Amino acid sequence: MSEWPVALQEIIEDFQDCFDRMERYELLFEYAKRMPHPLPNEEWTDENRVKGCQSEAHVECIIDADTGFHIRGGADAQLVQGLMAVLAIGVDGLSPSEVAQLTPKFVDEMDVKASLTPSRANGFLNLFEIIRSEAEKYTNQPQ
Amino acid sequence: MEARIEDKALLPSTMALNLNTIRADFPILSRRLEGERKLVYLDNAATTQKPQVVIDAMNDYYANTNANVHRAVHTLAGEATEGYEASRTGIAAYFGAPRDNLIFTSGTTEAINLVAYGWARANLGKGDVVLTTEMEHHADIVPWQILSKECGIEIRYVPLDRETMTLDMEAFEIAVEDASLVCVVHTSNVLGVRNDVERIIQLAKSRGKGGEGAHVMLDAAQAAPHERIDFPELGCDFLALSAHKMGGPTGIGALFTTTDTMETMKPFISGGDMIETVTLEGSTYQKGPHKFEAGTPRIAEAFGWHAAVQWLDQHNMEDVHAHISSLARWTAKQMRDIPGIRIYGRHDLETTSGVVSFLHEMIHAEDLAHLMDAGGFAVRTGHHCAQPLMEALGVSSTARASFWIYNTMEEAEAFVNHLRGVVERFS
Repeated sequence: MSEWPVALQEIIEDFQDCFDRMERYELLFEYAKRMPHPLPNEEWTDENRVKGCQSEAHVECIIDADTGFHIRGGADAQLVQGLMAVLAIGVDGLSPSEVAQLTPKFVDEMDVKASLTPSRANGFLNLFEIIRSEAEKYTNQPQ
Repeated sequence: MEARIEDKALLPSTMALNLNTIRADFPILSRRLEGERKLVYLDNAATTQKPQVVIDAMNDYYANTNANVHRAVHTLAGEATEGYEASRTGIAAYFGAPRDNLIFTSGTTEAINLVAYGWARANLGKGDVVLTTEMEHHADIVPWQILSKECGIEIRYVPLDRETMTLDMEAFEIAVEDASLVCVVHTSNVLGVRNDVERIIQLAKSRGKGGEGAHVMLDAAQAAPHERIDFPELGCDFLALSAHKMGGPTGIGALFTTTDTMETMKPFISGGDMIETVTLEGSTYQKGPHKFEAGTPRIAEAFGWHAAVQWLDQHNMEDVHAHISSLARWTAKQMRDIPGIRIYGRHDLETTSGVVSFLHEMIHAEDLAHLMDAGGFAVRTGHHCAQPLMEALGVSSTARASFWIYNTMEEAEAFVNHLRGVVERFS
């Protein structure tokens, strides 16, 4: 049985089917267009900025008692937005405790980590940590 | 559409260099990347690759000579000191200067800081104007901003002419009259434009500081890999540069300055090696460049840089510049035909360096750099430590391909073709 949520597992398999790095990039560009809850540019602030990215990336988490965990986000570089969308689709609607238990290792399985520069890898890890810690915060709150 | 072969006629000068022999001197150029792709290294404005002789000089120093300099009397210390000082002599000679005009620094940034804290802090104050430009690297902006807060100097900036992508020389001619110090980038790391430094120096000397004459500092980091600079002939007061952009190692560079000017400078880094005597009451300093080289210097790096200038000295730098500039000119011309690509710079000028900065209207610069890297092409992306220039250009970053002596026409063609493919596939 897969250790990843179903939606994320499907995305990982999508990337594993890619022939080479260019195809993986092409797929990331595709995912960038599928951000489930985009954060429009006018809502980009210093507070929601992801530090460590060379390009601009912004993210917010929404936790809804009925529909679960959602990520709103946007980035000016498509590869960054693609990674963000993968995560956003992969966790959309999960419970905060499920999100809090995720590890960023799914990027290794997608075989895109080698394509990330150290600064982009750091940026991605910062993005992941923002999301995970938001989920954890909510999980630990008395309901 | 493939890059047009007939346009290679733009490159008559490349014949003057034996590129096969040159490339064989750089071991890294035969490296294969993921998927056995060839490396096409086009990030030379950030740092150049090193010829084997530089690697050998540094390895040999550590394997056979390593000792601290200017101190012990043992054999190794003598050889290290002799080699280190011979490097100073050899590197200075490459720039047409006497050895005592060369202060070793960690690179261009430290060299400019040495002008700010060693000379300007001691000689300028409230009422003095430091005239610099919008085209500068942060290394030639930030020290002046810090010093301005500390001692009240005023900073003025010569604007970029947005149309011609060159310095607004009319504005310079007016502004220079009030300037005590003029600090200008010799060749832009973003635009590749070579400023008319000869005229800038002449104007600063004849009209600067109300006709008294201003001091001039040139940031020659991007110029030294392209042209033979003769420091005394240029007639500036300070010349800052880095070894690693001209085939030498990282971590070492130089500030050239005249003997007279050096005498008016105060050390801003102090400690061992720069002193004559130290008592608990006070210290006296060494004369000449050693006064500004506190601590154990970059000995292996000096050996390596010396080897680099000896290697470069085998080549006629006019041929080298013509080769690099032609590659950039040809590449820029081809890129202009790729839909959505915009080039920043003046590749119609023969003086322009090997830099081609560009953007695509749909694909972010950082994405472009990744997509080029996937094809084995190493290009830079970002603000290139020149945010005021980015602002003047109305962008936040660019992608930048930059050529050097070992790059070939085939690499330029492959670069253009890969970029064309990326644009077709991703925009």
